[in-house]
Amino acid sequence: MLKCAQNLRYSLRSMLVSAKNLKKSYGDFEAVRGVDFSIQKGECFGLLGPNGAGKSTIINMIYGATPKSSGELHVFNRDSFDSARDNKKRLGVVTQDNALDESLTVFENMWIYSAFLGVPTDKRRARIDGLLEFLNLSHKRNANINALSGGMKRRLVFVRALLHDPELIILDEPTTGLDPAVRHLIWGKVRELRDQGKTILLTTHYMHEAEVLCDRLLIMNEGQIVAEGSPKLLCKTHAPGYVAAFDQKNVPLEFAPDGFSVARDSSGVYVRAPQLDDLLRLQFDLKAEALLLRPANLEDVFLKLTGQELNKNA
Amino acid sequence: MLETFFLSWHIVQRNWMVYKKSLISNISPTLADPAFIIISLGIGLGAMIADIEGRTYIQFLAPGMAISTAMFTAFFETSYGFFVRMTFENIFKAMLTTPIGISEIVLGEFMWVAIKGALMYSGVSIVLLGFGLMSDPKLIVLTPVVGVLVALPLGALGLLSSCYVKNINQFQTVYSFLISPLYFFSGIFFPIDQMAPQIVWLPKLLPLYHGVALSHSVFWNENHSEAWLFHAPVLIAYSAVLITWARIKLQRKMQS
Repeated sequence: MLKCAQNLRYSLRSMLVSAKNLKKSYGDFEAVRGVDFSIQKGECFGLLGPNGAGKSTIINMIYGATPKSSGELHVFNRDSFDSARDNKKRLGVVTQDNALDESLTVFENMWIYSAFLGVPTDKRRARIDGLLEFLNLSHKRNANINALSGGMKRRLVFVRALLHDPELIILDEPTTGLDPAVRHLIWGKVRELRDQGKTILLTTHYMHEAEVLCDRLLIMNEGQIVAEGSPKLLCKTHAPGYVAAFDQKNVPLEFAPDGFSVARDSSGVYVRAPQLDDLLRLQFDLKAEALLLRPANLEDVFLKLTGQELNKNA
Repeated sequence: MLETFFLSWHIVQRNWMVYKKSLISNISPTLADPAFIIISLGIGLGAMIADIEGRTYIQFLAPGMAISTAMFTAFFETSYGFFVRMTFENIFKAMLTTPIGISEIVLGEFMWVAIKGALMYSGVSIVLLGFGLMSDPKLIVLTPVVGVLVALPLGALGLLSSCYVKNINQFQTVYSFLISPLYFFSGIFFPIDQMAPQIVWLPKLLPLYHGVALSHSVFWNENHSEAWLFHAPVLIAYSAVLITWARIKLQRKMQS
């Protein structure tokens, strides 16, 4: 009994964000239609979904920029909207748009944001220089914002989000539009932050990114949660097995055998089966060699759950 | 409350950091325009105009010219200036992820506008004082207060138009049909009582008329009780209503 109570207290304290039947409408449009989830201290939690799934709306509600329509949303065990000002001292946001102040230099931008975030004046310089170093931007300290490349701007937004050493870091599509080298650099930094014990909330379109970074994730579609779990578990539950890609012309349009699920897009036809052998056999049946054979991954889960896979019998 | 004030003050600091980078180009239109008008209308046209209420035309024109700089400074800051910050530079999007909320943005912008209005009106008044256009030099200490009293309601009109316009070009319409009439029919260029009695009440309802009356009183050292007991409270009432309206409107716009 006592142990149970202790566990409950522990889980309450270690829960940084919790949503119960959370809803948000804009006029007639329901952006978020009653979602429940919680984010535990120290985990990297992913929020996935196609454009318009409601990810950004949830993010905006978490840092209090938008009020919820109904339900409950607690951040640091306080109402996300009413306690927004205090909550925002403990969370940092890498915004989807960089929204850097282009009238100011790199250092001036970070200086004024340190002021906004309540970093004491005598600590600002050291804090900024430390973070510019951490994200390899020291050489751009006195540059104008428009002299930075896209990747540098993105890294500077990370610096801005970390100035006050937040407990919860919200990354809203942190690597959209970046080249692979910068993306890997940012992934490395995100892992470092997680290893330091930070809690991270990540939204992304890149399934690989979610697979690499997230401990647990939530897939949303049209304002609702369609799946929740670790990347591995989601693959196992929703898209087990292997995937073969075929050229369009080799697969008849009505092709839908039992035990396979089939998805078509402009690049080809993707067939998933529980066993690799099934796919090898399929090559003989279709008299065509697969363009690609691989284990199923989060991308297949995503396409299946967000209704973009033409699912048949699987 | 105190925290709101400090956070808003950081917004003033931010605006000052940007403003001082191009100080000369920022200040020149507000100072040059009234100077040219004083010369062309005051000295040039004034030579052909009979004295007004015992004053030469240049003496009549001076207080209105000074106060119009506070009006233009305030209106342009919260219309074009604010709109650019909000939509093109998108700086509030990131600011709102910090402890700053919409109240702090509004308070910060109005503190900034009030300071600019005070500095502009006082600055131009000091120059005009140098030309002997002020009756009592001691009254210069009142100019910052008058500048603030005019900058706040005009700044609120600018912020309201920032909330209502759909694109930046529509400010031109606001300027033509709201700011221009205020400028031309508030007693800056001619005594309002010369207008037909059927319409003279209209300009007297508008905020700039009361600002011009305050400026007349400061420059000419007369009608002080009417200025501070009637015109100043009207401007304060205007500010309270317009700022509240602008705040509600901005909250709706930004929180959706």
